[in-house]
Order: sequence, then structure tokens, then C-alpha cells
Amino acid sequence: MKTSFIQCLALVALICAAAACGCTGTNGPGAQVEDEIAWNLTLTDGTQEKVLSFSEVKALPAWEGYGYAVSTVGIKYGPYNVKGVPLTALFEQIGGFETGDQVGISAPDGYYWVFDDEQVAGKGFVTFDEDLKEKPSPDLTLVLAYEFNGTAIPEEDGGPLRVVVGTAEPGTITEGSAWVKWVDTIEVERS
Amino acid sequence: MRGLPLMLLLLAAACVLTAGCTGGDDAPTTLRVVPAGSLLLPMEEVEAGFEASHPGVDVQIEGHGSIQCVRQVTDLHRAIDVVVVADEALIPDMMYRPMEEGDGNYTDSYTTFATNQMVIAYTNHSLYADEITSENWYEVLARPGVVVGISNPMLDAAGYRSLMTTTLAEDYYENDTIYDSILGDHLRPAPEISQDGATTVITLPEVLKAEGEKVRVRDGSIYLLSLLDAGGVDYAFEYLSVAEGHGLNYVTLPPEIDLSSAAYVDDYKKAVVNLGFQRFGSIGSERVGNPIVYAATVPNTAPHPDLAHEFMDYMIAEFSEGHGEGWPSPL
Repeated sequence: MKTSFIQCLALVALICAAAACGCTGTNGPGAQVEDEIAWNLTLTDGTQEKVLSFSEVKALPAWEGYGYAVSTVGIKYGPYNVKGVPLTALFEQIGGFETGDQVGISAPDGYYWVFDDEQVAGKGFVTFDEDLKEKPSPDLTLVLAYEFNGTAIPEEDGGPLRVVVGTAEPGTITEGSAWVKWVDTIEVERS
Repeated sequence: MRGLPLMLLLLAAACVLTAGCTGGDDAPTTLRVVPAGSLLLPMEEVEAGFEASHPGVDVQIEGHGSIQCVRQVTDLHRAIDVVVVADEALIPDMMYRPMEEGDGNYTDSYTTFATNQMVIAYTNHSLYADEITSENWYEVLARPGVVVGISNPMLDAAGYRSLMTTTLAEDYYENDTIYDSILGDHLRPAPEISQDGATTVITLPEVLKAEGEKVRVRDGSIYLLSLLDAGGVDYAFEYLSVAEGHGLNYVTLPPEIDLSSAAYVDDYKKAVVNLGFQRFGSIGSERVGNPIVYAATVPNTAPHPDLAHEFMDYMIAEFSEGHGEGWPSPL
């Protein structure tokens, strides 16, 4: 009788565990960083073009730091521990980036954002503290991110590749308009 | 027979857990509404009122710039029940087109319900706060040391309307230095100005930034409010309802330039802001001056169309009552 009761409890516990996994979705898309995500990034300057797979982007020297964004109406996104590739490292694939150049970054949803050379160098952005009060800008790095908080960036957060205005230290918020989601094309405009 | 109690116990456990996963019948219906940022204050009251009369409905308000509101449906394909924008032209421009998947357009109709007007907002600490009036505002804003704030015209309707207002002011006051002295000369690179008959076209550069300390450009107008509070800007171009809702001082502008009146629609059309490039996939690059008119629609993709229409009717009725400060004026 005692053995049956224990067996019964064990089975119930097993069902609970299985059901809990189903409810919480621990196997979601952001649970691990996939090297094999099917996504191509096109780099071009109008005269040359290079297409990198997601795994080829990840194989470039990585940048790690922090990112924290705010929408036009004050909704905060983050903070994130960010891993990705500095835009400047991507530019090296197509001949670099000179003073006076600009870069247009776009995504399949039609969003398009342009950065000038000052911004590519991490200057000229508005920065906020946690209370959304403006504060002096720390050193900033424009990054093409592929990881937030140690996992692949979920599609709903702009993954697999998203622009981040990154910082070496946490606690700095930047305007989200520059954080282009679902990046698939980076086009350098030569001066 | 010995296994029967065990089977029943397991069955009961499975039933309980399954109910937990699916949420059962008591789960609230979520109605997702995306309004323009300038409506966030009144929409809090609309949300509370509708939920009070509709137990089991959770209205979720998610503010964006007006263009981004529409893009949630047309470009990002999110399940949105009601779209509310601060520029009625955006709905036919961006939503009267076939859906990428499925039959029909993103929407086929919309309802207008409120209007607003551009004002110059300031605080008691603003430079020359004791001098500015509705008659001399453009002279005060042009003075050395005065810092002016606008929201980004590439992202925010209030931003491109700021450019339109200063452009229209040149004709109204017969003073062709107003736009340059307040804004144009302090942006880098300076937007290109061209004339097309009686129409002035301002073409924005691909990267719009302030040059020097005269002008501050921010993604959204809420950041101008905090800059006003902190003394980071002296004056900001805002909607009347936003200035009132945040308890700011403001000066009104003549109706010929404040984009409030249908009587001056032909004058307003003489100011055009061209983004200079295709900023978004689903919208043209040209914004033409028009009276500020708020509009709402239920997209054909809305998950709860009947409830969404009910909410929209309730919202429009609330706005038509003219609640006062913080609310745009009824049409």
C-alpha cells in the first residue's frame, strides 16, 4: 500500500513537472544562441558587396557591453547585456569607413536609419539616466548585436541582428530610434 | 480495481494542470490600442472608464509616434485592435492598401474626433518668460541665448509641424528670417529650402542634428517636457493639450499658422516637409501642411473587431465631451 502511494505521488510529480515545462516554455527561441540561424547580412558601399551569414557575423571579433533603449513616448527596453560586432569591424569587410561617410541601415520591415561619421565614432547621441533625465554621454559604441543577456535576440525584440548603441558600463539609456531591428542590409555612402 | 483510484488521481491532476495552461474561461480579453503619444494622458481615463463598464476586458494602451502606430499593423503585423493617430492623413496614406497576407486592405475607413493646435510652451524659468507674447514669440525665440526644442520631424508629427509653423509664420508676419533664425540656421546640415510656386518645401537631410546650442532635437515631445522642467530648453513647440496637461505656460499662435483650423487649410498646404528619402517602407516621404485632426480606425486584422468598435465609439464619445486640460479639443 505504501509502495503504491509513493508510486502514485511520483507519477503525479512527473506530470506536474512535464506540464510546468509546457506552461513556461523553457524551450523558447531565445533559450540558446544558435549558430545556424538562417539570416543573411548584406554589406555594400555601392561598388562592392559582401553577404555574411549569421554564423559568419558571429565569427568576427566580438564586442561585449551594455545596452538600454527608450521609445519616443518613454517606454524603456532593457537593460541588456549585449554581445555583437562593432559596426566599424563590419565596415572593414568592404573597405572601411572614412570621415564624411554615412551608413544607412535597413530591415525587411522597411525601417531605414542613417548614421553619420560622428555617430559611427560614438558621438552625438542623447543619453539619459534611469529616470530619463539627460546626462553627459559616456563613450558609446555602435554595435550590430546578436545576443541579449546571453541568449539569441528573439524575433520580437528585433533579432537575430539589431543595432545597439552600447556602453562599457551599465546605466545609460539611449534613444531607441537608432536601434534598428531585424537588420539585413548595411550600406555605406562614400563621401 | 486497485488501479482505479490511481487513474482517477492522475486524471484529476491532468485536468487541473491543463486548465492552468489554457487559462480557462475567466481570462480577461485583452484589447490592444496604439494611440499617438500626445493622447496618452486622456487615454488613461478612457481606458479606466471602458474597463469599469466592461468587466473581463483588459485595455492595453501602448503609445507611439503616429507613424509608428500605423506601422505596428502594416509593417510589423501585430495584432492591434484600435489605431489612433494625430494626423488623419496617415490612415489612408498607409492603411488603404492591400494586406500582404489575406484579402482586402489593412483598413477601409476611419473616424475623426478631435483637433489640436501648435503652441510655444515654456516655464517661469525660461529666458524672457516675462516678455513673450502671442505677438512677439518669433522675436523672443530668435534672441541669442534662447534655446528652442523640437521633436524629430522624421519620427514625430509634432516635429514636422514645428517646421511648418515657422515656415507659415514667414508669410503671415511678412518676415523671411523667422524659420532660419529660430531653426534652420541651427541644424546641421541645414535642411534644403525650395519654392514650388507659393509652396515652401523643406527637405530634411538623412541625419538631422542640432548645430551649436540654440536648438535641441529629441525623438519625442516628452523629452522636451523634461528638458523644459530641467532648464535644458527655454521654449518648445508642443500641442496645446500637451502643454496644458503638463501644467506648462504657453503662448498661442495665430490660427493662420497654428494648424488648428479647417478654414485655413489652403494656407497650411503651402508648407511641405520632405523627408528626402524613403524613411519607412509603407509611407511616402512628403508631409503636407494640414489642420491637426486626430483619427481612429479598427484594422481589418483586429483580433476583437466588435469589441474594438465598441471601444472606439466609447473613446470618441469621451473626446466629444471636451474634458478640458490635457484633452485635445473636440471637432
